[in-house]
Amino acid sequence: MESSVAHLARTALQAALLVLLGPLVTGFIQKLKARLQCRRGASLWQPYRDLAKLLRKGTVQSDTASPFFRAIPVLVLAATVTTAAMLPVLWAPSGPSSLPLGDAILLVALLALARFLLAIGALDAGGAFGGMGASREMTVGLLVEPALMLAVFSVAVSGGTTDVGLLAARREALALSWTAPDLLALFAMLILALAETGRIPVDNPDTHLELTMLHEGMLLEHSGPGLACIVLATHVKQLVILTLVAALFLPLGLARGAAPGELALALAAFAVKVVLLATFLGLVESSYAKLRFFRVPQFLGLGLVCAFLALALRVL
Amino acid sequence: MSVELATRLIDVLGGLLLFTMLLILAAGQVFRAIYAVAAQAVFLGIAGAVLAAATGSVDLWIIAGITIGAKAILLPWLLIRVVRRVHISREIEPVIPTTVTLTLAAGIVVLAFHLNASLGSVRQAITGNALPVGVTLILIGVLVMASRRKALVQMVGLFASENGIFFTAMAVSQGMPLIIEIGVILDVVLGALVMGILVLRVRSSVDADIADLESLRG
Repeated sequence: MESSVAHLARTALQAALLVLLGPLVTGFIQKLKARLQCRRGASLWQPYRDLAKLLRKGTVQSDTASPFFRAIPVLVLAATVTTAAMLPVLWAPSGPSSLPLGDAILLVALLALARFLLAIGALDAGGAFGGMGASREMTVGLLVEPALMLAVFSVAVSGGTTDVGLLAARREALALSWTAPDLLALFAMLILALAETGRIPVDNPDTHLELTMLHEGMLLEHSGPGLACIVLATHVKQLVILTLVAALFLPLGLARGAAPGELALALAAFAVKVVLLATFLGLVESSYAKLRFFRVPQFLGLGLVCAFLALALRVL
Repeated sequence: MSVELATRLIDVLGGLLLFTMLLILAAGQVFRAIYAVAAQAVFLGIAGAVLAAATGSVDLWIIAGITIGAKAILLPWLLIRVVRRVHISREIEPVIPTTVTLTLAAGIVVLAFHLNASLGSVRQAITGNALPVGVTLILIGVLVMASRRKALVQMVGLFASENGIFFTAMAVSQGMPLIIEIGVILDVVLGALVMGILVLRVRSSVDADIADLESLRG
């Protein structure tokens, strides 16, 4: 048992780190894509500048939108930032916390809640594209969420807990002794990460072409600081997913105490893991075309079957 | 190499074989299915090499080498050549939707692992879970053959099935005798050649596909 104050301070620090670094990861992926296309690309800090610009702008709102519409960006951001507090970024907990703040099940549920709020907001504003984007996003969510749960459960069975921090700590002790179910779960997670972060081949984050967008379609009616909140939530969600994959499958280099050397090592390990996974996202996005929407279930079906088998092999 | 390490490596390679099998099943294009079966043969060869290192059997080293040479390089090259020559559409045309075959495959895997419990006395200690993985590969290979319209993809299913038989042989005994393994591989290569030539000839003389044969009535 560690003291609740230290636990809370660590959690807040880790969540703040994820929120602050979220846009940087997006910037990194965009830079990587630009370099692969032989362009120079925008600076790594461009997502921060975009956010700062949006925060300075005024808000324009559709006449048909209800008062609830204004609250949606804040709620989405809150749900996403809360998930960021449930992940081990730098520290691995030494034992069960006296103040449990949530486990993997709540994490997936909060991501689903953010998705639901975004879709409701898009429908509320009354735009045609918003409705279409919401319908598509929910279809993808229907396929992603159960698979995500299955993959997380497969790892949770081996660790004996659903708390992501404890799971990472216990698996770190095993030092990457991967078995067949772990590999299948990792493949499933990598496929799902592409869908969950809204990247090619499922969604294209760069396009605003009406027929192809999923996630962007839902943001059309938002503007100004509200849009900034949602865009920040998207950056954070992406980093949360990457950190979740890292915590479940590459739980190396997590710090135990607060010694500066240990923390520097943990930070470096975290950076390496995130850069590795972000490079994977960027490379896939540069080398594949976006799938036709009716082909997406087939692609995600592979992830679902992999996740199911990962759990089945673990139990059998 | 210690027995424990070999068991773990074979276990991991079994997972990779399963994953490549699912890739073959989920592939939307002929080329992807061929690359996936080539990757599967590479993993199979590595599994053979691991087993060879663990048991010190020279035969297994030779078999692993032949597997990689013939199944991972020669056969995929042949298939790709045929695909390029016949100018067929690159899309795989499944008889039943891919999502359904994926579901069936999940059922097959669960079944194979469930049955494995009653086959405990057959398998070796060193290969762990290789037996159910091998059985799964055989059955899913048959599923690919049954559920795809294109002759070339059916060939991919056959090779995957063959890989499964190989892996099963490794699981229950330390591979078959060398002479039989070489004979089997020669058979497979010859079969692939004959089928490849047949596909080319059928395409060039009559513009028909395997699926068109179904409408033939005696």
